[in-house]
Amino acid sequence: MNVETFKYDNRIVRAFAIATVIWGIVGMSVGMLAAVELFYPGANLNLQFITFGRIRPLHTNAVIFAFVGNGMFMGIYYALQRLCKARMFSDFLSWFNFWGWQAIIVSAAITLPLGFTTSKEYAELEWPIKIAIAVVWVVFTINLIGTILKRREKHMYVAIWFFLATALTVAVLHITNSMTMPASLFKSYSMYAGVQDALVQWWYGHNAVAFFLTTPYLGLMYYFLPKAANRPIFSYRLSIIHFWGLIFIYIWAGPHHLLYTALPDWAQSLGMVFSLMLIAPSWGGMLNGLLTLRGAWDKVRQDPVLKFMVVAITAYGMATLEGPLMAIKSVNSLSHYTDWTIAHAHSGALGWNGFFTFSMLYYLFPKLYNTKLWSTKLANWHFWIGLLGITFYLVPIYVAGVTEGLMWKQFTKDGFLQYPNFLETIIQVVPMFRLRSVGGTLYLAGAILMAYNLYRTAKSGKFEPDTEAQAVPWQKAAAVSHAKTKFHRMLEGKPLVFTVLAVVAILIGGIVEIIPMYLIKENVPTISSVKPYTPLEVLGRDLYIREGCLGCHSQMIRPFRSETERYGEYSKAGEFVYDHPFLWGSERKGPDLAREGGKYPDAWHYNHMDDPRSTSPGSIMPRYSWLLTQQLEVDALPGRLAALRRVGVPYPVGYENGPAQKDLQAQAAQIVADLKQGSVTAQPDREIIALIAYLQRLGTDIKAMPAVTSTNQ
Amino acid sequence: MYKEVLENISGIGLYGIVSILIFFVFFSGVLVWACALSSKYLKNMGDLPLQDNECPEPITHKIQS
Repeated sequence: MNVETFKYDNRIVRAFAIATVIWGIVGMSVGMLAAVELFYPGANLNLQFITFGRIRPLHTNAVIFAFVGNGMFMGIYYALQRLCKARMFSDFLSWFNFWGWQAIIVSAAITLPLGFTTSKEYAELEWPIKIAIAVVWVVFTINLIGTILKRREKHMYVAIWFFLATALTVAVLHITNSMTMPASLFKSYSMYAGVQDALVQWWYGHNAVAFFLTTPYLGLMYYFLPKAANRPIFSYRLSIIHFWGLIFIYIWAGPHHLLYTALPDWAQSLGMVFSLMLIAPSWGGMLNGLLTLRGAWDKVRQDPVLKFMVVAITAYGMATLEGPLMAIKSVNSLSHYTDWTIAHAHSGALGWNGFFTFSMLYYLFPKLYNTKLWSTKLANWHFWIGLLGITFYLVPIYVAGVTEGLMWKQFTKDGFLQYPNFLETIIQVVPMFRLRSVGGTLYLAGAILMAYNLYRTAKSGKFEPDTEAQAVPWQKAAAVSHAKTKFHRMLEGKPLVFTVLAVVAILIGGIVEIIPMYLIKENVPTISSVKPYTPLEVLGRDLYIREGCLGCHSQMIRPFRSETERYGEYSKAGEFVYDHPFLWGSERKGPDLAREGGKYPDAWHYNHMDDPRSTSPGSIMPRYSWLLTQQLEVDALPGRLAALRRVGVPYPVGYENGPAQKDLQAQAAQIVADLKQGSVTAQPDREIIALIAYLQRLGTDIKAMPAVTSTNQ
Repeated sequence: MYKEVLENISGIGLYGIVSILIFFVFFSGVLVWACALSSKYLKNMGDLPLQDNECPEPITHKIQS
C-alpha cells in the first residue's frame, strides 16, 4: 500500500485559539462597559471614544468577528486537516489568514471608537477595512478548497460541507452589502439608498448570523461532538437533511428583520413563512446533536467539554425556535425595537457560540499540549458561573423587552397613550439593565477563569507543533473500491461540483428577494417635496452616523396607532430616496426620530446635547458636550457632496465648490440666530450646529406636501 | 403604497408561490436522496471523525455496497 506520512499543523490552531481567548475577553469587557453605560450614562467619563453609540458596534464586532471568528478558524483549521487527512493547503495562506484577521480586528478596535463607521449593523467597518476583509476571506476560502482538493480521504464528511457553505456565502454577502462610494479614506456612502439599502443590509445581517455564527459552528458540532463523546453522530442521514434544509431556507428569511416597515407585504410574509420552516432543520440538527449522547449522559456529568456542548446545543435549539416565533408578524409588532431582540441575540451568542467555543478550547488545549486539562474542577466552576451568567443576563432583559413593548402600546380607556413620554418606559426598565450587568459580569468572570485554566494547562504540557499522521491517498486506493457511483457519492467526491450546487441553493433565495428590490428602485414613487439634504445637514447626518445615534434611536415609524400617536405620520418609502445609508435602526433606547424636525426649538437640542438630563430628567442618554466645542469639518464637504452625487443624489455639478459653502454658512448663521432667541450663544462653525440642522430636518419634507403622499397609500 | 407599487410589476403575485414551490421540490428531492442512501455507507460516513489520526487505510476499503 502507498501509505503516506504527513503532519497536521497545530501552530495555526494554537494561534487562533489564543486569539479567541484574548478577543473573547476584550469583546465581553466592552459589552460590560456598554451595559453599565445604559444605567449609568456617566460611565464613559465624558469621553467621546467610549460612548455607548461608538462602543456598541465595537462590542458586536469584537464578539462576532474577533471572538467567534477566531474560534471558527481555530475549529476549522483543526477539524479540516483531520477530516481531509492532509495538512492545510498552504502554511503561508494559513498565516496570512491569521495575521490578516488580527490586523482587521485591531483596525476595527481603533476606527470604531474614532467614529469611522458606515452605520450598517455588523458591517460598520469603513471601506479600506472592508476590502481587507474580502482579501483575507478569499485567502481563507482558497486554503479551505485547496486542502479539500488535496485530501487523502475520499469522502467529504458533513462538517466540511458546512465549512464550504460558510466560506462561499459570507463572501457573497460581504461583497453585496459593501458596495459603497468612498468620499475620503475613512468615509463612504452606501451605493443603495433608503428601502433598497435596508433590504440589502438585512438580507446581509440575517445571513451573517446564519453563515458566520451558525453554519460554521454546526460543522464544528458535527466534528467535535462525536470526538468528545467518542461516538458517531446520531444520524448521518439527518445531518444531510439538516445541511441542505438549513442552507436553502436560511437565505429566504432575511425580510423578517423588516416587518411592518416599508418592505413589500409579500416579501414580509415570505420571510415569515420561511422563518417558521427553519424550525424543522434547526431542531433536526439540535436533536441530532443531543441524541448523539444517548447512553453517554454519564460522561456529560464528568466531562466539562460535553457539559458546555450540551448547553450550547440546547441554546441553539432555543434560539432557533424563538427566532422564527419572533418572525411572526404579530409577535414582531411587540418585540421589534425592544430589548427582546437583545435577549434573543444573546441567547445565541452566550449560549450557542460562547459555550461551544469554550467546549472546543477545553478540548483542544490538552490535545495541543499533549497533557490533561490543568483543573477539571475550575472548568466546572466556569460552567456553572457561565450558566448562571446567561440566566442573569437573559431573564431581566426578556422582562425589560416585553415591558417596553407593552408600555409603548398601552392606551388609556379614553384612547390616549398611557405612557406618552417615552422616557417613562425606559426608566421603568433601568433596574433590569442593572441586573443584566450582573449576569454579564458572571459570564465574563467565567471566561477569565477559563483563560487561567488554559494557561496553566499549556504550562503543564509540551506544545506539539505538528502531529504526525499516516494515510493512503484515496486516489491510489481507488482500485480496491467497488462502490457504485451513486449520485451523492459522486457529488461529495467532487468538491467543486458540490460547491457550485451549494452556491446555487443559497443564491436562489437571495435572487428571488433581490430582484424585487431592483424593481422597486424603478418604481418607488418620488415625493416631490422630498429634497436632498443641505450641505450643513449632510455634515450633521455624518455626525449622527459617527456618534452611532441609531444604536438607540430608530427612524422608522411603523403603521400602528401606538406609533403614529406617539411620533406622527408613519414612515413612507419615498422619504428615504436620498438616504445613503438608511438610518432606520433596529433598537429604541430612546424615542424614534423620524419626525423629530420642528418638535423642539434649536436651543432645546443644544442644551439636550450638552446635558440630556437638563431637559429630560432621568434620561440615560450620554452627554455630547464635545459637539459644542469641536469645529465642524467643513473641508470634507466637497468630497462628500461629490460622492453623494456619484451615488445618485442630484446635487448640481460644481455645487460643492463654492455655492455649497455659502449655503452652509447661511444656514449655520440662521441656527445661531435661533439659538440666541433661546438664550444660547454659539459659534456657527461648531459641530452642534450641523447636528441641529439635521435633526430639525428629519421628517419635515413630507409635511410640505401631504396631499401627494396620501394618494399613494 | 407598496402594494400599489408592486401590483404594477407584472406577475409579482407569483413570487411567493414560486418560492414555496422551489423549496418544496428541492426539499422533497433532498429527502428522497437522503432516504435512498445505504445504511452501511451512512455508518462509515458517521465514523469518519473518529478515524482521523494515524489511520493507515483509507475509508474507501470499507465501502463496498
